[in-house]
Amino acid sequence: MHQGYPPDLSQLQAVMNAIEIACSSIQIHVNPAAAEATILSLCQSPRPYQACQFILENSLVANARFQAAAAIRDAAIREWVFLTDDEKKSLISFCLCFVMQHANSPEGYVQVKVSSVAAQLIKRGWLDFSAVEKEGFLSQVKQAVIGSHGLDVQFRGINVLESLVSEFSPSTSSAMGLPREFHEQCRASLEKDYLKTFYCWAQDAALSVTNKIMESNSAVPEVNVCSAAMRLMLQILNWDFQHNKNAKGGKNGIDVYSAEVRYEGARRSDCVLVQPGPSWRDVLIISGHIGWLLSLYGALRKKFSCEGYWLDCPIAVSAQKLIVQFCSLTGTIFPSDNGQMQDQHLLQLLSGIIQWVSPPDAIAKAIECGKSESEMLDGCRALLAIATITTPLVFDRLLKSISPFGTLSLLSALTCEVVKVYMANFTEEETWSWVARDILLDTWTALLMQADNTGQNSHLPPEGVNAAANLFALIVESELKVASASAFTDESESEFLQASITGMDERLSSYGLIARAAIDVTIPLLTRLFSERFARLHEGRGTKDPTETLEELYSLLLLTGHILADEGEGEMPLVPNAIQTHFVDSMEIDKHPIIVLSSSIIRFAEQSLDPEMRASVFSPRLMEAVIWFIARWSCTYLMPPEETTSSSDHRPHLQPQYSRKAWLTFFGEDNQGKLVLDIIVRISKATLVSYPGEKDLQALTCYQLLHGLVRRKSICVHLVSLGSWHDLANAFANERTLFSLNAAHQRSVAQTLTLSASGMRNSEASNQYVRDLMGYMTAYLLEMSGKSDIKNVAQQPDVILSVSCLLERLRGAASASEPRTQKAIYEMGSSVMNPILILLEVYKHESAVVYLLLKFVVDWVDGQIIYLEAQETAVVVNFCMRLLQLYSSQNIGKISLSLSSSLLSEAETEKYKDLRALLQLLSNLCSKDLVDFSSDSSEAQGTNISQVVFLGLHIVTPLISLDLLKYPKLCHDYFSLLSHMLEVYPEMVAQLNAEAFGHVLGTLDFGLHNQDTEVVDMCLRALKALASYHYKETGAGKVGLGSQATIYTEPDGKLQDGILSRFLRLLLQLLLFEDVSTDLISASADALLPLILCEQGLYQSLGKELIERQANPTFRSSWCEFQGSKTHGKSENKVSNSTSGRHMKCNDGGGDV
Amino acid sequence: MSDEEHHFESKADAGASKTFPQQAGTIRKNGYIVIKGRPCKVVEVSTSKTGKHGHAKCHFVAIDIFNGKKLEDIVPSSHNCDVPHVNRTDYQLIDISEDGFVSLLTENGNTKDDLRLPTDDSLLTQIKDGFGEGKDLVVSVMSAMGEEQICALKDIGPK
Repeated sequence: MHQGYPPDLSQLQAVMNAIEIACSSIQIHVNPAAAEATILSLCQSPRPYQACQFILENSLVANARFQAAAAIRDAAIREWVFLTDDEKKSLISFCLCFVMQHANSPEGYVQVKVSSVAAQLIKRGWLDFSAVEKEGFLSQVKQAVIGSHGLDVQFRGINVLESLVSEFSPSTSSAMGLPREFHEQCRASLEKDYLKTFYCWAQDAALSVTNKIMESNSAVPEVNVCSAAMRLMLQILNWDFQHNKNAKGGKNGIDVYSAEVRYEGARRSDCVLVQPGPSWRDVLIISGHIGWLLSLYGALRKKFSCEGYWLDCPIAVSAQKLIVQFCSLTGTIFPSDNGQMQDQHLLQLLSGIIQWVSPPDAIAKAIECGKSESEMLDGCRALLAIATITTPLVFDRLLKSISPFGTLSLLSALTCEVVKVYMANFTEEETWSWVARDILLDTWTALLMQADNTGQNSHLPPEGVNAAANLFALIVESELKVASASAFTDESESEFLQASITGMDERLSSYGLIARAAIDVTIPLLTRLFSERFARLHEGRGTKDPTETLEELYSLLLLTGHILADEGEGEMPLVPNAIQTHFVDSMEIDKHPIIVLSSSIIRFAEQSLDPEMRASVFSPRLMEAVIWFIARWSCTYLMPPEETTSSSDHRPHLQPQYSRKAWLTFFGEDNQGKLVLDIIVRISKATLVSYPGEKDLQALTCYQLLHGLVRRKSICVHLVSLGSWHDLANAFANERTLFSLNAAHQRSVAQTLTLSASGMRNSEASNQYVRDLMGYMTAYLLEMSGKSDIKNVAQQPDVILSVSCLLERLRGAASASEPRTQKAIYEMGSSVMNPILILLEVYKHESAVVYLLLKFVVDWVDGQIIYLEAQETAVVVNFCMRLLQLYSSQNIGKISLSLSSSLLSEAETEKYKDLRALLQLLSNLCSKDLVDFSSDSSEAQGTNISQVVFLGLHIVTPLISLDLLKYPKLCHDYFSLLSHMLEVYPEMVAQLNAEAFGHVLGTLDFGLHNQDTEVVDMCLRALKALASYHYKETGAGKVGLGSQATIYTEPDGKLQDGILSRFLRLLLQLLLFEDVSTDLISASADALLPLILCEQGLYQSLGKELIERQANPTFRSSWCEFQGSKTHGKSENKVSNSTSGRHMKCNDGGGDV
Repeated sequence: MSDEEHHFESKADAGASKTFPQQAGTIRKNGYIVIKGRPCKVVEVSTSKTGKHGHAKCHFVAIDIFNGKKLEDIVPSSHNCDVPHVNRTDYQLIDISEDGFVSLLTENGNTKDDLRLPTDDSLLTQIKDGFGEGKDLVVSVMSAMGEEQICALKDIGPK
């Protein structure tokens, strides 16, 4: 290695000693900081290659060799562009030779490290090396891999390939400080030219040792080579093949943005498809590769009793994993022959795998007796993989050709066995049966999802339906058993509970799919189970503890909900296909199984209205399940929209199908719908009133059930005509009973009731409905604020409670603003404007009430502003400004004193929330300029919104200390408002007074240094707007930002640089010397160009200054050239190509100004 | 809500009742509560159940508003808790006396001289420093269940 001076042996020896000492002192924990510094200095020293090579070859301390390899990597990646081609090649050759020469070294990790260094260096130069050069490196590896130099070298050779593949795969590659395009190009190149070759080498390597392994009766060294080769094959099959994706889209270039990075272990039983494309057909399919693999594993299975082999030994595990991976093989690797070749391929695999899982009972018993479960679990995973790439019919048929039963029957038997084991030893811990159950349920989901989505359940063979029915019966039995067994266990930590509920939801969806596959059997089964339990509750009332039955009903309700209806996620879920298309020859409507089941549950729920029953049977938890079920059920079945039920004229050929669906109208508007709706409303009111303090239950009622109902207009029409709904509204408006609800629920009920007004005949009636609903509350606030002794009365706890409740309700109503009820809600708000200001004064120390007041105004303005006429806008804006001023006058300069640090930090948090609300208020006002539905949008008489918002900002900004800006949400809100204002109304900035101007710019400065790239981005946008505005204006001979742009006076009288030059300096500093996220480059460029245009002189002088300060003459001259070529260079030697690239990009950037 | 009216009249005389009953389920974070006879501010509320099919309980973590000590309580959420009547009044600070008392100007022009300065050093310096700089200070005095303390300062100096 050329280093400019002859190698000095004693010097190298000294470095080696120092590193050896450092490595051993780290191990025995003596002064580790100093030792780390020594090692780091080796990595960071310029051209440490010779020393590192010396250490690798001569040191007896393995760790020192390891560190030397790491140092080669770090230094070479850093100095890569300065190395000559020969140096690069010799470094790589050195690493490769080193690995091969010391192949039998006992410290394997050093060899692995050196292989990885070699791989990284090869990758770093990959795009520059010629094909011949690459061949040179790889032929060396090939010789090793095919076994020309013995087993150890062969093993190491495979290692090198493993490192290469992992470096070239974007998800596992090491960072090199290069753009993503580089990694993508390397990936594509390897995939195109070498990946298959590597696979063949691995195949050859494995084949060369197979016979030895099969013949031996104890572990032989060949085993290592074989399992490494299989690991490499697995790794290659895991490659994210892009070939197909690009071919399909007809794209030639590499789209770096669409290439996804694959993460491992996203789901527990994740199943990734393997789609290498047609060119792999000969290697993987035709060559008999699978046959070899299966026979190898078959031979291994027989050896598990021998010494050196066992079920979980590395070679067996590698083989298992590889076999499972082959089950995911799909795509164009198979010819278009109606799937014959693929079926053949899967059948071959399955005939090998079946021994792992069949017969299920014997396998389960063996595992319970201590056999390792890994093979069985891999068998389940293989089934999952096959299920993912086939249809249920193909899946089932596979096994039929070699056994009396189909694959579905096997799957069912296997799942039943696993559920039985799970039932037998039910514990909270994750056991193998738990894992197996999850994989198998995923398999069912994969199979049945296709059928469920397309509605072609008939595609499931009859045995499959039977298998599903049997399995479901067993699942229900097990769930019920688990339920009754756990009825008395206390639910421990809430976090754990939350996690298990989410887990349960996934499981329940799989159960739902299984049940729907055999819907004729499962619905009557559930009806029977429900009625048994209802009867049991009635018989045992007062004499027996019902808890176990309650818990059983709880899980039956959840299960049934998942079977009958899908999660709507805001949309109207349709009746599941399986249910729509079945029960063809069903008898009279009221004997329809779905109707029978639904009715029986609703009748049961209705009993909760009886206080005695409620006390003895309907525990809060059971009630939660009841409400959840009704909410889910009613979205699909209660008063379904016309088009899905009635026959329409333009689709006469569908007539027979529609008559089948006659039962769907059973809960429609003209049938039982109204009756059921009434029951639901009465139950809801009972949960709100008669379950005091049960927040979870009430949350379900408010958010799931009631919100779901009022979302549908067809239901609202009936709601407002129901006596029970009227009762609820009345209790809300005129009684105190609902005061016991939690604040958020009060808000929600108010919102719900207000929304139901859309069911009234016309707009007047809707508005009147809202007035009646809220009238009492606004009157109360008015009266209350007019009292002479309000100051004393207001601070009583019960008054605070009432006021808070009413404000929450007003806020709920305000957030339900709709065009139809807008008028009434505007009146509601405008009538309490004065009371609100009075209350803000009275409650200035009661932060909770202050926040409510602000939030009400925020929500009210948000809902109203776009509809307001000029006159009303002026009133609202005026009110908002008074509110801001009052708040500001109360809080500016206020210091809280408390002994408790947590109370002080609470006070700070409250302040932050208030300010955030105020900023939201200003943003809401802003929106008036963007969207305006008022009739007279002529701007002449209108309020100047931008002026108002700037005034508002001026009031609020002093309250926002830099400390408060550390709250990310506040910071975000503040800067998004600020940048919006500066972007849209830069001319307003020019009119600000010096103090306000200074403050705005001070915060911009703060924002540019923020951690959050979004905040920086917003500041850059603001900056761009300001500079462009100034440039354009001055270009047109106007003042632009005026004196403040060029020179401005600080509060202490000092003259300052113009703000634009200040920001130019700051931005350049940021871009060149600080770590700027690449996401910000384009925004920086956009801001930089107008700044440069405004301040050309300064820009030139800054450039010069940088060049002069450059110590290294080489860089200096090259930078001068750079500047000569019109791109002003500036950099220090640590700033490499990427920064100057960045700089060029900056200049290319905002050419649009 | 007519009995509500009644409440206002009878309780108009502030301080007559030191606490009010309120359902535990409605007490929120940042609200007040009496725990072990002390007025506290709630900093954390969580709910749990007594057994799977039992009723909800509220678990309160609260901080004594006067001495800053942390207190906890568990109450069935349908039961009532005591909520203290916390009153806050603003006075202008006239003087700080040597013996640790402050002299305050009330709204009707009288002075209030019976309030001790806090004993905690940092609080004391915050008040004394502000006063020493000659600022016009308004202090907020918090009172509840027969105790009072200065809880906030505000500079209303000429601006």
